[in-house]
Amino acid sequence: MKALCWNGVKDLKVEKVDDPKILNERDAIVKVTMSSVCGSDLHLINGFVPSMQAGDILGHEFIGEIVEVGPEVRQLAVGDRVVVVSIIGCGECEYCKDELWSLCDNSNPNGILQKKVFQYPTAGIFGYSHLFGGYAGSHAEYIRVPFADHGAFKIPDDIPDEKAVFVSDGVPTGYMAAEMADIKPGDVVAVWGAGGVGQMAIQAAYHLGAERVIAIDSVDYRLAAAATHSKAEVINYRDADVLDVLKESTGGRGPDCCIDAVGMEANSTGIEHYYDRTKQFLKLETDRPAVLRQAIAACRKGGTVSVVGVYAGFADKIPLGLFLNKGLTMRGGQMHGQRYVPLLFELIREGRIDPAFMLTHPTPLRDGPKAYELFNGRTDGCMRAVIMPQQATEHIAGAPSLINIVDKENAVGLPVCE
Amino acid sequence: MSRKIVKNVGTTERIVSIALGAYLGYNGLKNLRYQSVPALLASGYLFVRGGLGYCPISRWLGKKDIHNPAINVKAVMTVNKPREEVYRYWRALANLPSFMPHLHEVAEIDERRSHWIAEMPGMGGKIEWDAEIVKDEPNELIGWQSINGSPVKNAGKVQFYDAPRRGTEMRVIFSYHPPAGGLGTAAAKLLNPLFKGVIENEIYNFKRVMEAGEIPTTDGQPAGKRTGKLKLI
Ligand SMILES: NC(=O)c1ccc[n+]([C@@H]2O[C@H](COP(=O)([O-])OP(=O)(O)OC[C@H]3O[C@@H](n4cnc5c(N)ncnc54)[C@H](O)[C@@H]3O)[C@@H](O)[C@H]2O)c1
Ligand SMILES: [Zn+2]
Ligand SMILES: [Zn+2]
Repeated sequence: MKALCWNGVKDLKVEKVDDPKILNERDAIVKVTMSSVCGSDLHLINGFVPSMQAGDILGHEFIGEIVEVGPEVRQLAVGDRVVVVSIIGCGECEYCKDELWSLCDNSNPNGILQKKVFQYPTAGIFGYSHLFGGYAGSHAEYIRVPFADHGAFKIPDDIPDEKAVFVSDGVPTGYMAAEMADIKPGDVVAVWGAGGVGQMAIQAAYHLGAERVIAIDSVDYRLAAAATHSKAEVINYRDADVLDVLKESTGGRGPDCCIDAVGMEANSTGIEHYYDRTKQFLKLETDRPAVLRQAIAACRKGGTVSVVGVYAGFADKIPLGLFLNKGLTMRGGQMHGQRYVPLLFELIREGRIDPAFMLTHPTPLRDGPKAYELFNGRTDGCMRAVIMPQQATEHIAGAPSLINIVDKENAVGLPVCE
Repeated sequence: MSRKIVKNVGTTERIVSIALGAYLGYNGLKNLRYQSVPALLASGYLFVRGGLGYCPISRWLGKKDIHNPAINVKAVMTVNKPREEVYRYWRALANLPSFMPHLHEVAEIDERRSHWIAEMPGMGGKIEWDAEIVKDEPNELIGWQSINGSPVKNAGKVQFYDAPRRGTEMRVIFSYHPPAGGLGTAAAKLLNPLFKGVIENEIYNFKRVMEAGEIPTTDGQPAGKRTGKLKLI
């Protein structure tokens, strides 16, 4: 089959690889129909997450059809249309039983290795580095899904593909961000990052009772989407002093809840940006925590800071004095997708959450590298490019608001390594 | 499973170096005083060692000379199953190969005695010995030892405690020692220090088998061309 592989920093290749096989009894094989890009992939592509190896297949946010099941798979059958959660949980350990799926003790084959870095092992994640298990990702025609009964959910017939695909990762992450923010009726919520995760955090925040949600980003088309599709007020941090505007618009209190949906590659303005970029380059910090600093500073006294933007290691100049003296609560985590999928189907059906607008660029597999260029550069209105591995040609029916630049341009085609 | 880990131990060391480098760097920065300069230097050194996979000091020492052929692995873990069940599975020594793939077979001869066959890929042969249970306190403790004259000395001890709400806490000790008077080639391979990482992983497999019913793996999954090494930073 064909798959999109990480070949080095900012170097992706479509390659011919073996088809996946059932390796354990609880595995299933899924024929991938849609596989989205995600901000987490950018951290791998831009070289900020350790333990990648040339040849790793990328992708973790996907839907497809079951084509084979292992002998111990009980809930799924060949032909089922499923969404698969991006993180892998065994379903039996203490953490899975407590619905803290991304903390699974057993799903990471490199758990012992990971323990040496993080002290404790965490769950495996599809296509997300060897520290997180080294599992082959979903930007491929087929994928092997371990512990399939727990990770793969049948998609109800009335939920279309272009909504279901984001239930794998983007929607549950945004939902969990809002849930961890501990929103009370009447609260003002600030969300940093108007990418797919931020958009879903905004919609979930309204659902959980927020009175107002304010989105912060610098990319105009993403702010526009936050305003029109997710109904947020917006701040462009390049044009305004974020802390001032947030105070100004909340009667001097500051937002009750602050959500970091940006993570380790946060951009910032002025000297702060050069400081973090240099330290990151010299490996003196692995993460650029500009958003985390700002969220801690902006949050009202006694408020909550919820972190789903991914950090890899360590960062500095975190204003801990503010954290402590303002009595803040801080929570974070990789999302526990398995816990939310049934609820999210329900919310999507009721129209309370609608992720379909995020699918801006349906893309054939061979144009994967190009799609990541658009996504990484935040160009061409790209919110999320979705790879359609079963589609060889341009036209993909059914998806809304297609801005299909990728296909128009691919007359020449991108290098496909055989 | 075990094959992969053997290949990757260099990687483990590199990741550990990076983590230690980060930790020492953090500690060094924490008390930025005259004494912390060595720690900061060590941190830089560990970063280099981890990041480049190159260790100037090992090279200088001639890495082979610093090997100690005995292997002692200690592990603690919590298994989300009742103590009786956990004890029973380990006590049936024939189950050991189901989570310790380097053991080809463990056959129970009678209540106390057992015959062990170990095999590692690249070991150049099987190695066999007899062992006996030297301590057995049901649901609490199992201890065993290879009998005198075995080609390799193997011993182990497992203790079981209740973990409130969470099943069973276990303490495991597993060791291999060279016998007096020289080593056969197969035994020598078994005592390769890289093997320690394998044992550590295999002990953790016990938890995976008890809870999840399987050992997670990626061996045999597809990948593109492995044109480069695992990139750590
Ligand atoms: N915790 C989880 O389980 C989980 C799951 C999925 C994604 N994530 C993480 O969530 C984050 C967002 O994911 P995404 O897919 O939306 O990514 P994305 O790259 O599409 O969006 C990130 C957005 O942040 C904006 N940004 C950069 N610096 C900023 C700043 N200083 N202030 C405000 N906005 C800023 C960018 O302009 C961009 O629009 C990433 O770190 C990703 O790794 C976490
Ligand atoms: Zn993701
Ligand atoms: Zn688990």
